[in-house]
Amino acid sequence: MAALRDHGGGHSDALRVESLPLGIAHIDSGLPGNGLTLGRPHEIAPEAEGDEAAALGFTLALVARHLARVEGEALLVIGKGHPTPYGHGLAGLGLDPGRLLILEVENDADAYRAVEEALRSQGLRAVAGLVDAGLSLKQSRRLHLAGEAASRLLLVLRPPQAENPNMAATRWRIGSGAALRDRFGCIERPCWRARLDRCRNGRTGDWLLEWDHAAHRFGLAGAVAADAPQARSNTA
Amino acid sequence: MAAIGPGGLRITAVDAAAWALGLRPGEPLARARARIGPGIAVHPADPEADAAALARLCLWARRYTPVVAPFGPAEGAAGFFLDVEGSSHLFGGEEGLMADLSGRLSANAIPARLALADTPACAFAHARHGGSARPVIVPPGDNAPSLRELSVAALRIEPSISDSLRRLGLRRIGALADAPRPPLARRFGETLLLRLDQALGRRPEPLVSLAEPAAFGASQGFLDPIGHQAGIVATAIRLMREIAPRLGASGMGAQSLRLSLHRVDGIEKTLDLGLSEPTLCPIQIGRLLDLRLDRLGPALDAGFGFETVRLDVTGIGRLEARQDSLADTGLDRRAEGNGTARLADALRQRIRARVIRVSPRASHIPERADALEPWRVNHVALDWTGRGNARPGGPVPSRPLVLFPRSEMADEVFSLAPDGPPQRFRWRRRLHRIAHAEGPERIADAWWHAPAPARDYYVVEDESGRRLWVYREGFHTAQQAARWFVQGLFA
Repeated sequence: MAALRDHGGGHSDALRVESLPLGIAHIDSGLPGNGLTLGRPHEIAPEAEGDEAAALGFTLALVARHLARVEGEALLVIGKGHPTPYGHGLAGLGLDPGRLLILEVENDADAYRAVEEALRSQGLRAVAGLVDAGLSLKQSRRLHLAGEAASRLLLVLRPPQAENPNMAATRWRIGSGAALRDRFGCIERPCWRARLDRCRNGRTGDWLLEWDHAAHRFGLAGAVAADAPQARSNTA
Repeated sequence: MAAIGPGGLRITAVDAAAWALGLRPGEPLARARARIGPGIAVHPADPEADAAALARLCLWARRYTPVVAPFGPAEGAAGFFLDVEGSSHLFGGEEGLMADLSGRLSANAIPARLALADTPACAFAHARHGGSARPVIVPPGDNAPSLRELSVAALRIEPSISDSLRRLGLRRIGALADAPRPPLARRFGETLLLRLDQALGRRPEPLVSLAEPAAFGASQGFLDPIGHQAGIVATAIRLMREIAPRLGASGMGAQSLRLSLHRVDGIEKTLDLGLSEPTLCPIQIGRLLDLRLDRLGPALDAGFGFETVRLDVTGIGRLEARQDSLADTGLDRRAEGNGTARLADALRQRIRARVIRVSPRASHIPERADALEPWRVNHVALDWTGRGNARPGGPVPSRPLVLFPRSEMADEVFSLAPDGPPQRFRWRRRLHRIAHAEGPERIADAWWHAPAPARDYYVVEDESGRRLWVYREGFHTAQQAARWFVQGLFA
């Protein structure tokens, strides 16, 4: 019986995912652990006012990519000032709305309490918090501690201005980019200008990312070849 | 029947033979014995059995209407109100209902006096003080005239007040209703006027309906009242352990629970708990209750402590069969439930907000095609492949990630062709120059609604790469230009 249990335990350890790779070798090689480390807070902010939808799209795309790799649900804590996503839009982004729990809260204190509670519970695979003010140093420490116990994808989306020093593992700034066109000249895939401002034990960079909602995969926007050498020189 | 009253044993109820001999309730038993002789058969009164029998009768009367309110102390406690508005037609009108009710009561040898009127107070007056053994039906709007000849005692007032009124010459309700009100209020207080107004239908009298009996519940009393959070939680867990086997035997789990805490000074506090998934796990209930009590803090005023704690299962749901694990982990998996469901319940207790989800609705109108609903454990995947979803085979999601609850109007719209996409517009004080537009996708309102203008939707991308969902409402006419709205944002 003990042997059986050991066997089962070993098996589940082998399946354990420690990080979420973006699927682009060029970016992943610059991130510690070849991807976004699970259980550490990752901070995402829009580049400027008006890019909120792009930043929300990037956040939910990361959640969708993680949910495609593991079983379970994700929790989206929506603070004041953030819109609730549209169900058909979520489905169009490749995220099954049935696997997304939504909690609408009144203020940031409640939002962080809910995120911490979710980190300590069983059963969730990803937690994303949409907050009104920034991620403070104290709060990021709390999240860091709460997240250590379990490997969950932990994302915090904040408004563009509220920037303060904290313990986030990475900090992304997302701006909208011109969408990729198919051969008929129609919009094919959403595209974001992603800037990795800060990355603990890794390299920062600036990329133009496209999102393939069917394959749950990011890609470097190949159509805009001019950005690729620039991105390479940034990270070199 | 006799019971201990003021000044020794008093008669509380008499049968027909005793009534004929002149015995009345309230008379001292010793005087009755002296008057009639020793041949009186006396039984001790049993108020508890009376109350239980009345409760049974009230439950039986639910066959006529869901609103059954037993008499309170003011009415003398031996009877009940039925609110038959809206249900009398099921029995062939009000006359039919009264005939059915009196027939069934007399078939069971229950002597009853029935009255039906616009207000509970008026019906009570006719039933108790009308003097007619047959069912009384007061026609609608006939309250005041029908009450005029009745004695003031029919108003459910204290005997001392009715005695004083009688001494003042106000024997009938009609006389009381005609008397000037301010002196009455000064002399007898607000209660008399309240009762009078209730009888005449000038003031509402809500009925407190009989509580639904809970099939699953348990309670515990304490010699030493408890007040600490830990004690309350431990008691709830113990009570749930008592209930769980009974619930489990019927294949059900608790989905909502009510904890009633009876304080020493007679005040009852109730806490309602809701769960996302039926459960039998006492530990889980205890944890949720602990979170709720944490949130309440001092708002749960324990005072001198609670002497009785009662846990009732107010909602049940079918428990999904789940295989128990081979290894004994100490937790019953079947009873423990799903981790996500437990989180949803815990969040609901801690942060007064419910966990919700988006679910599809069958509508082609974008704003009606999804809805927020409470999150539940779903065992069937929801179908998002309706017509609002990404086009099958099409490369781009045709629906925005953020849909505004109200479309926002765009100003200064400039378009090259009258029914073409916009070239530029101002929205949220910012000028958007459109670099690329796709469309139109025409969405018309349902034909069975009032005719609303059809909308032509475009996905537009401005120069900085922001994608918006805009639509033109209706068509341009010679007199008026069509209006443009922004309804959503793409990722």
